[in-house]
Amino acid sequence: MQKAFGRKKVIFMFLAPALIVYIFFVVVSVVWAGYYSFFDWSGVGEKTFIWFQNYIQLMQDRIFWSTVGHTLAYTVICVLIQVFGGLLFAIFLTRLTKGRALLQTLYYVPVVISSVAVCQIFGKLLSVTPTGVINAFLSLFNADLAMMEWISNGEVALYVAAFVEGYKYLGLYMVIFYAALIGVPKDLEEAAIVDGANVVQQFWRVKIPYIKPVIISNCILVLNGSLRSFDISYLLTKGGPGNASELMSTYMYKQAFSSMKYGYGSAIAMVIVIICMAVGFTFRRVTERGEKV
Amino acid sequence: MRKKKLTALLLAGVMAISAALTGCGSGTSDDASGSDQSSEGGNGERKKITALLRCSETSAKYIILKKLLTEFSEEKGLEEPEFELVNGDADYVTKLQLYINSNSLPDIYGCANGALSAAAKDIDSMINVGDELERIGMKDDMNGALYDFFTDADDGNVYLFPESLNCEFFFYRKDIFDKYNLEAPKNWDEFLEVCKTLKEKGEIPLVVAGKENWQLMRYLSFAPWRMTKDGFIKGYMDGTETFSDNVAAKSGAELLYTLGTEEYFQGGFLSTDYTAATDLFFGGTGCMWYSGSGQITQASEMYEAGELGFFAVPDVKGEDNMDTNVPIHGGFGTAFNAQTYDDTMKECFQYICENYSEACYKEAKVFSPFNDEMPEGLDSLFYDLYPMFETATDAWVSWDDKLDSATLTSLVDEQQKLAQGSETPEEFEKVADSLITK
Repeated sequence: MQKAFGRKKVIFMFLAPALIVYIFFVVVSVVWAGYYSFFDWSGVGEKTFIWFQNYIQLMQDRIFWSTVGHTLAYTVICVLIQVFGGLLFAIFLTRLTKGRALLQTLYYVPVVISSVAVCQIFGKLLSVTPTGVINAFLSLFNADLAMMEWISNGEVALYVAAFVEGYKYLGLYMVIFYAALIGVPKDLEEAAIVDGANVVQQFWRVKIPYIKPVIISNCILVLNGSLRSFDISYLLTKGGPGNASELMSTYMYKQAFSSMKYGYGSAIAMVIVIICMAVGFTFRRVTERGEKV
Repeated sequence: MRKKKLTALLLAGVMAISAALTGCGSGTSDDASGSDQSSEGGNGERKKITALLRCSETSAKYIILKKLLTEFSEEKGLEEPEFELVNGDADYVTKLQLYINSNSLPDIYGCANGALSAAAKDIDSMINVGDELERIGMKDDMNGALYDFFTDADDGNVYLFPESLNCEFFFYRKDIFDKYNLEAPKNWDEFLEVCKTLKEKGEIPLVVAGKENWQLMRYLSFAPWRMTKDGFIKGYMDGTETFSDNVAAKSGAELLYTLGTEEYFQGGFLSTDYTAATDLFFGGTGCMWYSGSGQITQASEMYEAGELGFFAVPDVKGEDNMDTNVPIHGGFGTAFNAQTYDDTMKECFQYICENYSEACYKEAKVFSPFNDEMPEGLDSLFYDLYPMFETATDAWVSWDDKLDSATLTSLVDEQQKLAQGSETPEEFEKVADSLITK
């Protein structure tokens, strides 16, 4: 049996279905988007081949470049909340002896609720007229805060959207970290205790270095997810007010499906792919270097 | 063993290829007569009527067409009509594009005047509704302003059938106005004065659904419409008019900026959608709300109690304003597919026209696009509103339809900045003018 699993043909047989699906749904889509990016096309009617015009226009598009900045800020916030928040929550869970399962379930609930519902809930919580729960609570300290705008305020809308995205998926990464933390061998922990390590040192010196590969994997997952994040930002703020919370993906969607500039939208999609790959690759290289050291 | 493996492999290959071919089969077809054949039986006879609509099951359009098409299908011995409903704007556009590209539009479909209607015309998938109305002798029965609303800018024909007669106006809280001795404003200066007084009294002067593109755009386009009808917007699209130079357009930008920055709109207005704004106003928040005949049902109770009044779009003071001051439009138009427009569909069109008014008033509670007499027993708002548009001949000019998608998307972003005060009217005008390449 073991011999069979070692054979290249058998390995390929197991890998092939996923590979074929991936090629059909990802690689082919990327290639098609690349093809469309060389056309001026409204989605219906004739396509006009315009060489690199869409890319030249994109390089001069100041809104697009502001969306790149927004997306990076959005990603940083998501990484902080989902990875570091998730890790912190997982650590707290491992310290609990009672009610752990209940808390774990509660934290995981937003992951299974649809994005539409989550955005509706936050829309109501952060409402100004009628006064939502958050503003009603804040107005207890300062009456002016009853009129504090969150979703429709250009200065904070992006951070609010990032927070909601972080909140939604925090539970997912918490569960992964929790599983990794309880998988740390007991003898390592006992050895640290024997050496006189306190609880913080046990985590900082033993458990966290042990689960470093999991942390890196989660970082990559969050990075990729946040760089092409769409639903929360679009549902909560529609990229507004103006373009204040516009992300690369919502901008791409608007250009392709609202402005009906499919060629230009495809060019943006191609740049998103390149940026995602570049960030992911750079992150991988940096973390690999750290591992070698 | 080897033989078995080979057979299994062959079978898997056949399955994969047939799956791929099935997928390809639904792709683009160059066949000019490639319209959806699902409505026809094997012998080419029609089995059912299919419709693609941009609405939900509670929308007037669906209620009306569901009733009429079901009744007609029963009469003709056809199967139940097949409806495909898509609620979101962008989703609907994507779906319609797909059908146009694959030349497989259903018998009846919703369509806005613009790029999509032009594309549908290009593949000969739109009947001339004007000619058909003439054929059945009902052209003169349709409201003149509505006919004007759907007249094609390129060839002067009418290709779309109105969903209903929608008239827009301001609802205002009569009880609050009486309390502060205010009167319904006649021009925009008076309107702003009223807003100022109400604000000083601690009221919310104006409720707006700022999350909906069209609501803020109305304030931008009121003055250009009253002063130029479609003159400005056509000129803007041609590159012969600019926001910076046109008095009417400047007035519109100034109005939206003032309403937003003076905080006459409710707090957080940019995140309020139409449903939430409706709930706010009819729930007792705010003093004025730009709405229309589509909300008669919600307004009736307050109106009967004397708490609500209505007024038309104010004039621009000191300027020439056209006589029509109530925006009238036919909503999202309905097209009939020319490729599947057989004798049955011709009969169906006539049946729809002849019974449309009854379905509008009795089932959907909206005004009919035809000048038929209103039945008795409707809410009194129906009878009180009717004189406002009875003799109107000029339709509303919807910027959402006139502007191309790219300009519209950018203008929507800019109008939000203007309303929020993060952009001055001058900055807005400059950006808006740059969106059009001369």
